[in-house]
Amino acid sequence: MVNENLVKDVVKEPYKYGFVTDIETEKIAKGLNEDIIRLISQKKEEPKYLLDFRLKAFKKWQKMKEPDWAGLGYKQIDYQDIIYYSAPKQKEKISSLDEVDPKLLETFDKLGIPLTEQKKLTNVAVDAVFDSVSIATTFREELAEHGVIFCSISEAVKNHSDLIEKYLGTVVPASDNYFAALNSAVFSDGSFVYIPKGVTCPMDLSSYFRINSGDSGQFERTLIIAEESSSVSYLEGCTAPMFDTNTLHAAVVELIALDDASIKYSTVQNWYAGDEEGVGGIFNFVTKRGKCLGKRSKISWSQVETGSAITWKYPSCLLLGEESVGEFYSVALTNNLQKADTGTKMVHIGPKTKSTIVSKGISAGNSINSYRGLVKMGTKAAGSRNYSQCDSMLIGDQASANTFPYIKSQQPNSEIEHEASTCRISEDQLFYLQSRGIEFEEAVSMMVSGFCRDVFNQLPLEFAAEADKLLALKLEGSVG
Amino acid sequence: MEIIEKIKTNKSIVNQTEIQRFCIKKLQSSPLPNPKSELWRLTNKSKFSKFLDYSVNKKEPKFDTPYPKTSQNTIRLIIGENCQIKLIEKKYSIQQLSEDELFNHIKEQISFCDQNENWSDLLNLSLSCTKNILGLKINGSKIPPIEIFSHASINSLNAKTLVIFLEKNCDIDLLQVNLGKENSSLSQSTFFFLKENSSVNHGVVSYGEHKSNLLNSLNVIQQKNSEYNLGSLHFKFNYARFEIRIKQTSGNAKTNIKGMQITKKDEQISTYTKIDFNGPNGFLDQINKSLADDKSHAIFEGSIKVPKIAQKTDACQLSRNLLLSKFAQIDTKPQLEIIADDVKCKHGATISQLNEEELFYMRTRGITLPEASKLQLSSYFQEIISFIPVSKDRWDLLDKLLNDN
Amino acid sequence: MQSKMKESDPILEVENLSASTDNLPILKGVSITVYPGEIHAIMGRNGCGKSTLSKIIAGHPSYNITNGDIKFLGENINSLEPEERAQSGIFLGFQYPIEIPGVSNLEFLRVSTNARRKFLNKEELDTFDFEELVKEKLELVKMDNAFLSRSVNQGFSGGEKKRNEILQMALLEPKIAILDETDSGLDIDALRIVASGIKKIANTQTGIILITHYQRLLDEIKPNYVHVMSDGKIIKTGGSDLALELEKKGYEWTDNYIKQS
Repeated sequence: MVNENLVKDVVKEPYKYGFVTDIETEKIAKGLNEDIIRLISQKKEEPKYLLDFRLKAFKKWQKMKEPDWAGLGYKQIDYQDIIYYSAPKQKEKISSLDEVDPKLLETFDKLGIPLTEQKKLTNVAVDAVFDSVSIATTFREELAEHGVIFCSISEAVKNHSDLIEKYLGTVVPASDNYFAALNSAVFSDGSFVYIPKGVTCPMDLSSYFRINSGDSGQFERTLIIAEESSSVSYLEGCTAPMFDTNTLHAAVVELIALDDASIKYSTVQNWYAGDEEGVGGIFNFVTKRGKCLGKRSKISWSQVETGSAITWKYPSCLLLGEESVGEFYSVALTNNLQKADTGTKMVHIGPKTKSTIVSKGISAGNSINSYRGLVKMGTKAAGSRNYSQCDSMLIGDQASANTFPYIKSQQPNSEIEHEASTCRISEDQLFYLQSRGIEFEEAVSMMVSGFCRDVFNQLPLEFAAEADKLLALKLEGSVG
Repeated sequence: MEIIEKIKTNKSIVNQTEIQRFCIKKLQSSPLPNPKSELWRLTNKSKFSKFLDYSVNKKEPKFDTPYPKTSQNTIRLIIGENCQIKLIEKKYSIQQLSEDELFNHIKEQISFCDQNENWSDLLNLSLSCTKNILGLKINGSKIPPIEIFSHASINSLNAKTLVIFLEKNCDIDLLQVNLGKENSSLSQSTFFFLKENSSVNHGVVSYGEHKSNLLNSLNVIQQKNSEYNLGSLHFKFNYARFEIRIKQTSGNAKTNIKGMQITKKDEQISTYTKIDFNGPNGFLDQINKSLADDKSHAIFEGSIKVPKIAQKTDACQLSRNLLLSKFAQIDTKPQLEIIADDVKCKHGATISQLNEEELFYMRTRGITLPEASKLQLSSYFQEIISFIPVSKDRWDLLDKLLNDN
Repeated sequence: MQSKMKESDPILEVENLSASTDNLPILKGVSITVYPGEIHAIMGRNGCGKSTLSKIIAGHPSYNITNGDIKFLGENINSLEPEERAQSGIFLGFQYPIEIPGVSNLEFLRVSTNARRKFLNKEELDTFDFEELVKEKLELVKMDNAFLSRSVNQGFSGGEKKRNEILQMALLEPKIAILDETDSGLDIDALRIVASGIKKIANTQTGIILITHYQRLLDEIKPNYVHVMSDGKIIKTGGSDLALELEKKGYEWTDNYIKQS
C-alpha cells in the first residue's frame, strides 16, 4: 500500500521565493479611473496614440463582465482596491547597472537571476521586471550588433514607437476579454523583442517578473515580432512574495511571426500559490496569443505552470499563413487548493497548417486542474492537421482533473485527432522502483517527471532542469 | 410560438394531469432554454422555433404505418394508439404502471430538474396527455422482443412519453422507433429504470421525412449490477436533438453506447450525453459517430462525471466524425470531469474524411469511387447498426442509410 | 531501350515520365515498354522512385504527372481514374496492402472481380458462383476459406497480406501486373507460394513488372529485363544477369555508374 501521508509530504516544499524586498517604492493611489490611466501614461511619457489606446480599452472594460464560464469560483476582486502603478524609487535615468539599487540586484540574485556583469548568465539575455517597471536588461550591446531589439516595452514606446503603434493590440485586441481589456488600459511594463529579417537570435532571451508589493497588481505586456526568416527562443519566469491577500496578475503577450519565422516561447510560472488553506496567492489571468502571419511561420508555446492560486490562461495560435505551424506543450501541476484552468486554442485559418497539443496535468491535494482547448478548422484550412494529447495524473482522492476539448471543423480535407487519458502513480510501479532501492520520494518524482517527459523535452536546456526540480519540490509531501 | 404562450399563461391547456401541472409550473417563469447556455448555444435558432411552431397533439389521422409487418414473436406497442397491455405469462409479465407509480417516478426524476439541462423533458411532460404516456413494468425472463413506436402527425407537435421499470434479474431487447412525418415535431421522452441485475439491449431508431423535427430525451437510471446497452441512429430530420442522461446510482453497473447521427442537406442533428457515476466500479464504453454532408451540421457533446465515490471506474468515450462536404460542419466536445484517483478514463475525438489510402486500394481493384465509398460507409455504419437490437432481420437500416436520399 | 523487333503490340508504354508530389519531383523521365509475355524487374535503393512509378501507373491521386505519357494497349491513360485502369487490366500489388476494417474480404473480392468482368463483357457472378471461383483460386496461394470472412487485410500477417494480393491478381486476370516489393517481409516458404502463384497466372498474353531490391524473388521468377533506378531515373537496363551482378557488387556500383555517365 502506498502511504497516503508519505506521498502528501512529498508535495509540501515551502515556497522559497516568498520573501519581500524592503525597498522604497513609488506608488500611486489605489483605484482605477480615467485619471489614474492618464497618470500612468504621463509617468511613462507616452505618446498620444498610446494614451488613446488605454482610454479606449478602459471604456470597453467598463462595459464588460468578469468571465465566470470556467467556474473557477474565486472571491470577487475589488478593482478599486488595487494599486496600478508601483515602482522602486531610483535615480531618474539609469545609464548602467552600477546605478541600480543594490537591493534590487540582490533580490534577483536571490531568485537565481544574477544581473551584474560578473555574474550574469552566459548566453541568456535577461530583462528583469520588478513590480511595474523594468529594472535592467542584460547583453543589450551584443544583441544590438545583430540588429535584435530587446528592451522593456516602455523603452520601446520611446525608441521604436513605429513598431509599437503598428503591432500593439493586433493579436490580442483590447476588447478580446475582460482581463485583456484591463491590461490594455493599465499595463505598466513588460518586454519588447524585435528580430530583424533573416536573423537567428544569437542567444535565448528571458524576462523575469517579480511582484514585490502586496497591494499592487501586475499588468505586464509583452510583444515579440519575428520578421521574415528570423528565429528566437524566449523564456519567461515569475515569482512573488507570500502575502495573505490575493494579488492580481493580468498580463498580455502578443507574438507575431512573418514568413518562415519561428518563435519559441517558454514559461516557468511559479507565482506564490497561497498556503495550504488557500489563503493568499496570485490570481494569474493571462492572455497569450501568437499570430502566424507568414507562410511556413511557426509559434511554439511551452509552459510549466506550478504556481498561482488560480491560473486562467490559454496560450493560442492563429494559423493564418500557408503551412504555418502552432505548438503547445504544457505541464500544469496543482496542489492544495490551487485551481488551474489552462489549455490552448489552435485556430487553423490558412491551408496546410499544422498544430500539435501536448498537455500534462498533475493534480494533488484538493486542487482542480482543467485542460480547456479549442481546435478549429476554418473553411479555407484545406490540408490542415491537428493532433492533441491531454493526459492527467491524479494524486490522492481529493484532487480533480477535467478535460474540455472543443473541436470544430468546417473543412472536410483536414484531420483532427484528440486523445485524452487519466492515470495515477500505480502502486506496482512504485513498488518496482522501491524494490530496486530507490527512495519513495525519488520514485514519485521519477514517475512524475517521466509523465511530463514529452513536454520537458520541448523546453530550452536551462529551463528543463529547473522545471524538473521545481516539480519535484512542489510535489514533496503530496503523493498518497 | 403558441405553445410557449400557453405555458406562460397556463390557460388553454385543458384537462391537465398532475404531472402536467407540475411541469408547466416549473417552466412558467422561463419557458425557453437559455440560448447562450453551453447545452443550447449551437442550436440553430430558426430551426428550433420551427420545432415549436405547430399546434399540440392535433387529432391524428390514421397513421399510414411504414413499419414492417409485426412478427409473431415480437410485441408491438404504438404510443397514443394501443397503449393497453397486460401480459401475464408463466415466465414473465408485462403490465402497465399505475398512475401513482408513474407520477411518483416522474416526479422524483424532475424535482431536481435544471431548466436548461432538462428542458426537453419539462416540455414533454407539460404537453404529454394521459393517452400519450405509456408506463410499463416488466418482470421475468425469456421475454419476447418489444417494439415501441412514437410518431408525430403532419402539421402537429406530438408529445409522447415512455416510462419503463425493469424489475430485478429481468432482461429484454427493446427497439424504440421514432418517426417524423413531413412538417411535424415529435417530443419523445423516455424514462428507463433498471433495477438490480437487470439488463437491456435498447435500440433507438429515429428517422423523419423532409422538414420533420425531433426532440428526443432519454433518461436511464441504473442500479447495481445492471447492464444497459444502447444502439441509436438518428437521420433525416430538419432538426433533431438527442439527449441521453445515464446515472449509475451506486456504481457497479455497465453501460455500452453506440450512437450515430447522419446529416444531409441543411439538417442539424445533435447528440448530448451525460453520464454520472455515483458509485465505484462503474463501466462505460461509448462511441458516437457523426457524418455530415451537404450544408448540414452535426454536433456531439458528451460529459462524463467521475466523483470521489466512483473509484475504479473504467470509462471510455470516443467521438468519430466524417465530414464529407466543405459546406458542412461538425462540432464535437467530449468532456471528462474526474475527482477519484483510481480510475481508468480516456476519451478521443477525430474529424476526417473517408480514408484516401483505403479508397485508392479499392479503386486499384476496379471498384469505382462511389462503390468504394459505399463499402467504407457501410462498414462505418455497420458497427453501430449491428448494435441495435430487434432490427436486424426486418428493418434493413443499412440499406436505408446507403440508398435513401 | 528494347531494340528487338516485337511481333505483337506492347501492353504498357511508359514514355519519358516525370511526376511530382507536393511540388517535389519524384520521377525525372522514366521510359519502359512491356510486351506480352515479358517479365521486367525494376531494382533500386529505397527512395529511388520505383514504388512511386508503380503508384502512378495505377493512378494514385497524390501524384501529378508533369511530363510524359503512360500508354496501355496503345491508349493514353494519363487521365484515367484508378478504377478505370484496374477494370481495363492494370493490377498493382501493394508493398503494404491497406487494412480496411469492417469491409469483408469476400465482399471486396466479389465487387472488384465483377467490376473487371463487367469490363470484359463477362457475366457478373452472384455470391454463390463467386464463392466457387474464389475457392478454386485460394488453392493457388494456399489460403483457406477463413480468410474470406475476415475484414480486408485486417489482422493479416505480412505473408497473408501478400498472398491476398496474389489472390486478387488471380481473380482479376490482369493484362499487366506491377508487383511492388511483393517479396519483402516473406519467409522462404511464403516466398515460394507467392512466386508459384505469380508463375501460374503469368502467360504469353500478360506482362509483369516486379519491383524489388533483392535477388531472391528473381531466383524464383526469371525476368527478361532488369532495370536499375536511381533518383527518379532508369540508369541501366540489362538481362537477368544484371540483377546477379547487382547482387554481387551492391548499389554502390550503380552510383559509380552514374558518376561515369
